Amino acid sequence: MSWCYCAKPLTLPPQLHSRASSSSSFHSRVGGVTVTTSTLSLRPSPPLVFTHNLHFQPKIKRASTTIRCASALTPQLKSTLDTVIASNKIVLFMKGTKDFPQCGFSNTVVQILKSLNVPFETLNILENDMLRQGLKEYSSWPTFPQLYIDGEFFGGCDITVEAYKNGELQELLEKTMLS
Amino acid sequence: MGVTKENLEASLKAKLNPSHLEVVDTSGGCGASFVVEIVSEQFEGKRLLERHRMVNAALEEEMKEIHALSIKKTVTPEQWKQQQEANQSNAAA
Repeated sequence: MSWCYCAKPLTLPPQLHSRASSSSSFHSRVGGVTVTTSTLSLRPSPPLVFTHNLHFQPKIKRASTTIRCASALTPQLKSTLDTVIASNKIVLFMKGTKDFPQCGFSNTVVQILKSLNVPFETLNILENDMLRQGLKEYSSWPTFPQLYIDGEFFGGCDITVEAYKNGELQELLEKTMLS
Repeated sequence: MGVTKENLEASLKAKLNPSHLEVVDTSGGCGASFVVEIVSEQFEGKRLLERHRMVNAALEEEMKEIHALSIKKTVTPEQWKQQQEANQSNAAA
């Protein structure tokens, strides 16, 4: 497992700022959990948008320490994650985005997946602390990135790198894309 | 405060009884970043994911303070021996 805590404040090059701020994926902090994935899959399918504004009211905003003690994985979040993972063959929960990874370990996994030419979804866990804490429980994995393949937790950065080096990742992805 | 290489080694030794263990502090002294290489019989018959989960579990307390941990190797004594031999023959060639 590889991971890091490089939670730097989000800084984007100025030319990208206007584009980014109008994107719904940057709205999660204000509006509760909004999970948006851009769909790159070969088959046309509608983009996934899960909004649970009602269930994630700002009451949790200032209570980040309590969240860690209590369970961050609410039934609503769990079912949202179930759906995201079931409807996408490859999902990467990471720090930053596919185009702007904000952590070296997340970047490594993105580069591996890109090099293998497979469509994959990414979710930026830095944008939503509920999602970030809940996922640790959901996957029983303490860190990010977290890679899901074909509905199953595959591993973090070290596991992905090792599987890539010995060819197991390629094999699994090939099988997954054909299924 | 801060986690040391010795803390990690003690926890891993106590919980996974390794026959070989290498912990490298890659943080430059602040105790935030480590690389771990571990050989243990307890990994026998376990998939890589399960092995990593075992290391995570062994370091549950320390993890709260560490910022970056890279598990480079989780192998069984048998695999370790094979790897050492392969390395030696490579070096000789």
